Amino acid sequence: MTTLPIEAGLQQERDITSVLHGWVTTVDHKRIGILYMLATLLFFGVGGIEALVMRWQLAKPQAGVVGPDAFNQLFTMHGTTMIFFVVMPMVLGAFGNYLIPLMIGARDMAFPRLNAMSFWLFLFGGLLTYFSFIAGGAPSIGWFAYAPLTEYAFSRGTSTDYWILGLLVAGIGTVAGAINLVTTILTMRAPGMKLSMVPLFVWIMLIDAFLVVFALPPLTAAQIMLLLDRMLGAHFFDTNAGGSALLWQHLFWFFGHPEVYIMVLPAFGIISELVPVFSRKVIFGYESVALATLAIGFISFGVWAHHMFAVGMSSTLDSIFAGVSLLIAVPTGIKIFNWVATLYGGRIRLATPMLFALGFLAMFVIGGLTGIMLACVPFDWQVTDSYFVVGHFHWVAFGGIVLAVMGGVYYWFPKATGRMLSERMGRWHFWLLFIGFLLTFGPMHAAGLLGMPRRVYTYLPGRGWEIWNLLSTIGAFVLGVGFAIFFVNLFVSLARGAPAGDDPWDAWTLEWATTSPPPAYNFEKIPVVRSRRPLWDLKHPDDPDWKHE
Amino acid sequence: MSSGGEHRADDRETIELPNSTAYPLTLALGVTLLAAGLVTELVISGVGLLLLVIAAVGWARQVFTPAGESVVQVEPAAPQAARPKRRVETLRPGLPGHRMRIPEKMHPYSAGAKGGLVGGVVMAGTALLYGVLSGRGIWYPINLLAAMVMPRLVDASAAQMQLFHPAALAIATVIHGVSSLGVGLMFGVLLPTLPRGPVLWGGIIAPLLWTGGIHAFMGVLNPALERLVDWKWFLASQIAYGLTVGIVVVRSEKVYVSQRPPVELPE
Repeated sequence: MTTLPIEAGLQQERDITSVLHGWVTTVDHKRIGILYMLATLLFFGVGGIEALVMRWQLAKPQAGVVGPDAFNQLFTMHGTTMIFFVVMPMVLGAFGNYLIPLMIGARDMAFPRLNAMSFWLFLFGGLLTYFSFIAGGAPSIGWFAYAPLTEYAFSRGTSTDYWILGLLVAGIGTVAGAINLVTTILTMRAPGMKLSMVPLFVWIMLIDAFLVVFALPPLTAAQIMLLLDRMLGAHFFDTNAGGSALLWQHLFWFFGHPEVYIMVLPAFGIISELVPVFSRKVIFGYESVALATLAIGFISFGVWAHHMFAVGMSSTLDSIFAGVSLLIAVPTGIKIFNWVATLYGGRIRLATPMLFALGFLAMFVIGGLTGIMLACVPFDWQVTDSYFVVGHFHWVAFGGIVLAVMGGVYYWFPKATGRMLSERMGRWHFWLLFIGFLLTFGPMHAAGLLGMPRRVYTYLPGRGWEIWNLLSTIGAFVLGVGFAIFFVNLFVSLARGAPAGDDPWDAWTLEWATTSPPPAYNFEKIPVVRSRRPLWDLKHPDDPDWKHE
Repeated sequence: MSSGGEHRADDRETIELPNSTAYPLTLALGVTLLAAGLVTELVISGVGLLLLVIAAVGWARQVFTPAGESVVQVEPAAPQAARPKRRVETLRPGLPGHRMRIPEKMHPYSAGAKGGLVGGVVMAGTALLYGVLSGRGIWYPINLLAAMVMPRLVDASAAQMQLFHPAALAIATVIHGVSSLGVGLMFGVLLPTLPRGPVLWGGIIAPLLWTGGIHAFMGVLNPALERLVDWKWFLASQIAYGLTVGIVVVRSEKVYVSQRPPVELPE
């Protein structure tokens, strides 16, 4: 242990205090974006450990790692954490906050203080939800909190109340953040940057923010109704008193399915930035990618009841929701086609961000196909509430969102820190994640087709499920090793990574036109934009894009 | 709203930026405590409400007075650090793909449509041949196709499946015609972009993948129908279709892809 002179020690303490003070009082969008990233990575670690414990329990029949109550709490908190406190704040809060003002040539978000408030509401909402562990046990109602299980008669104690209140608090922050994003994109673009010129990531985030604004209020309303049921004896979802349990499902999934797109659209945005840069080609069909996103946004509000095929709706409603669910595959397929067409004939460089992007493309297509299978009512009836659904959802969430987000982290980390992430560790990270992903979520489909129900804490031997569960568990731990390498890479590269320079990937969007990391005011001079690739224009004044658009 | 206003003073550029503030954090804490008090003690809600009001007032004062912003001097950008050695090759004018839609030439969509229709005829011929050679008659494969959307045919006896059903013929014709045309169009666009030629992909690989996929899932999707399908002949008809489409597409003359923006095309 080293001993510092008193004055030096006080100075260091003052420095640490002032640094800490600077971060907690910041209204700078970049710092807030980094705070979002750090907080979501923390929650990601917690949610990941919850998943590993569950997989450990399911590795073999009748294991005794955790009991049924603890298992119910684990899958509730895993789902809640990953959806509300990892993916959504990471894509909207971390990526959206950090990148959008830089990409559109603005100095900050439209409402910097509101931006800070959004972050703190998200963080405190997450902590309030997790406080339930201390206050008598976490909720055990699933992340979808179906009624009437959530009514006071079936969920005694305060754990469900913490779940409701924590999500309500975080939800206020999320809606405020979305309004901030919309306002920023619509009002603060650099001179000359028409909406038809903004990077596709920005276009997609604009639509995504609108989805948040329209999809989250029904959940908030349902949660307030549930709170009234539990605290003041109202009967919205109390079937014994004339309430409707199905009403909760309608309200929840009216939020829940657009929520899937709220999470995955930013991943599409990241891929739409990575694929052109690492193919050295302009994105194929800029307009069709933007329009397809708009179409997905609209259609996503008309598919919610495909989560409810098994509740006994009329065959007419089943057919309508199946049809609309199949329809959403069309704009999604258009995007896949555009990315593949961008790759076609390009000068592809397989750097780590591109590896993740290609992994996303392959895996998302497969996840989409199982989604189409689930949109077919007879098939859905066969596998409802089975591990096939768990496998499908995680295939899309991990193969779609996590792979794209990881690609984004490797791509923009140099901008945020001025340091490159290690390519060698990045490749280890990618391959372990890819193999672990296939091993974890592929067997879940098989287990589901063999009849294994979801949300069971254990199972009897001799049903043919053992091998699939063991493979899934091995895969989950491979994923864990992959993420451990990622965290090591973050710390090591932050301290000793190669200097990145302003534009290490030779990219074309405005965030690469400023220093790495950018100053508080982002740009010395706000650039004038004349095309979709403003940095190309700056680098190639003899051959600018705007002459051709 | 963030002003981000720019000024020039003493020949050095300055920018107005919002000051750091603890009010957003305080307000968020207030909201959280307000909520937490509902499940703990109401006094916690009271503290939360108090914090919320204090933060809201302080926040409003910052927004409506100059105290909320300060002027920052723009620092000239520091010289760039060295870039890492490994980087993407720069895109330059003249490189393939630079503002050009590639491939420059492709088979017309009509070739895919034609191929699909001709392939559909060949496929139907293969299916009828199967009906004759297997002794089940020419109506059997037609009824089998219609059974996809006619559940009563799935439950029909073997003898009934060999009889002529006008409705089944109409439905099977529509299903076969539409899917032959649609898949032909898709093949027409995709096959020329795949390595080693359309005939290999259309005639061998795609039919194998397609048949394998259907064979794997038919047991789940429609177990009754699965028992009635002869998979060897099913594969043969798919190969006949794919080969025909591939040959028709390859034989068509390629046309230039429309370029937007216009670029100079090679002679």
